[in-house]
Amino acid sequence: MAFSKLPDDVISQIISLTTPRDACRVSSVSTSFRSIADSDQVWLKFLPPDHDKLVLPQVSPKKSLYLHLCDHPVPIGGNRNMVSARFETWSEPHIFSLDKKSAKKCFMIGARELAIPGGDDYRSWCWIAEPNSRFDQVAQLLFAGWFHIKARLETKMLSPKTRYAAYLVFQFRCHKSGFHRPAVSCVSVESDTDTHREWPTVVLDPGEGEPRSTRERGDGWLEIEMGEFYNENGDDGTLECSFKEVDEYTLRSGLVVEGIELRPKETY
Amino acid sequence: MATSRKVTLLSSDGESFEVEQSVAVESITIKDSIEEGSAGNPIPVPKVNSKILAKVIEYCKKHVESAKAEDRVDDEDLVAWDADFVKVDQATLFDLIRAANFLNIKSLLDLTCQTVADMIKGKTPEEKRKTFTIRNDFTPEEEEEVRRENQWAFE
Repeated sequence: MAFSKLPDDVISQIISLTTPRDACRVSSVSTSFRSIADSDQVWLKFLPPDHDKLVLPQVSPKKSLYLHLCDHPVPIGGNRNMVSARFETWSEPHIFSLDKKSAKKCFMIGARELAIPGGDDYRSWCWIAEPNSRFDQVAQLLFAGWFHIKARLETKMLSPKTRYAAYLVFQFRCHKSGFHRPAVSCVSVESDTDTHREWPTVVLDPGEGEPRSTRERGDGWLEIEMGEFYNENGDDGTLECSFKEVDEYTLRSGLVVEGIELRPKETY
Repeated sequence: MATSRKVTLLSSDGESFEVEQSVAVESITIKDSIEEGSAGNPIPVPKVNSKILAKVIEYCKKHVESAKAEDRVDDEDLVAWDADFVKVDQATLFDLIRAANFLNIKSLLDLTCQTVADMIKGKTPEEKRKTFTIRNDFTPEEEEEVRRENQWAFE
């Protein structure tokens, strides 16, 4: 009883200190709690503080905007804050969304925005349209002995006090070969001067019976975790996510890269 | 302004509390009324009884003392002290929230609200109703509609 008798704005404050999922559950408690839990006052606190600086779809109320951003990633970009790995000035849109449970920002950097040395070499890579991709074009590896894929994003774009993981989002063609050999991946920031740290190895296409770290995403693509980064305040400069094959003597082909995604590391 | 100036606060049930002005002005409500010259002597604190006022004063004293401390090593100790401070029964907790809100003591309001938020997290609606004795006043149709709207939160 005592809880219901608190002033509405205090109840709002309490609900906004829980999580989006808890706020939705509070809606089901009683009619008066529903109207408070669904209010803009609460959901404004779950939206990223800088969301009004982004060009977002005009959805209201705030709760609907929040849920829309979780289920409908939006392209954002042309922003000097996003350093393009390939081009120094203009950057093509990244795909932005919110992680429903945690309200943290997620970004997907498309293949066109990744630094792929030799990406312009038509003998090694080609750019194709893939129907179930969020981007206009994805990169297909035709034939190469080695490759190195890199994404860069300013840490100030990410949600503070969040542990992020980077995922390479890819598919194989039927004729894939060479990906049973290990690759290395690394997620680090400019201020991280530990250059002697060993990069962990990952295998995109392990053999039968070998441990598998790739996962089906449910959108027709596969993903593999490249590494983690804890974003304290967004003041660590540029985050760099790299993926490279190390064995130059194995010829590889049949890999399609959609991009690299950064999202909160799942702890549940 | 003499920092050792004392003021007297009068609880809703007629008990007087003499405190340092520096402690009393942790409450923006009291601070404003002192500065406007509209505070009586003693300063009446309606809506807050002696039991709760005593706790509020204890909180403010501790926080004023910690802020004065030369070394900031006390931060962790203060966090632990705060955690103990809110280990009270539900009725007292809500009275503290009401008092912090009325007296406009932001840090106490944040602390007590976060405590209740932590009690809410992870619970089903039925558990929340039980914990806080809230009556379910939805019709079956309304309840079905709300569940449908928020389906993802129940998965």
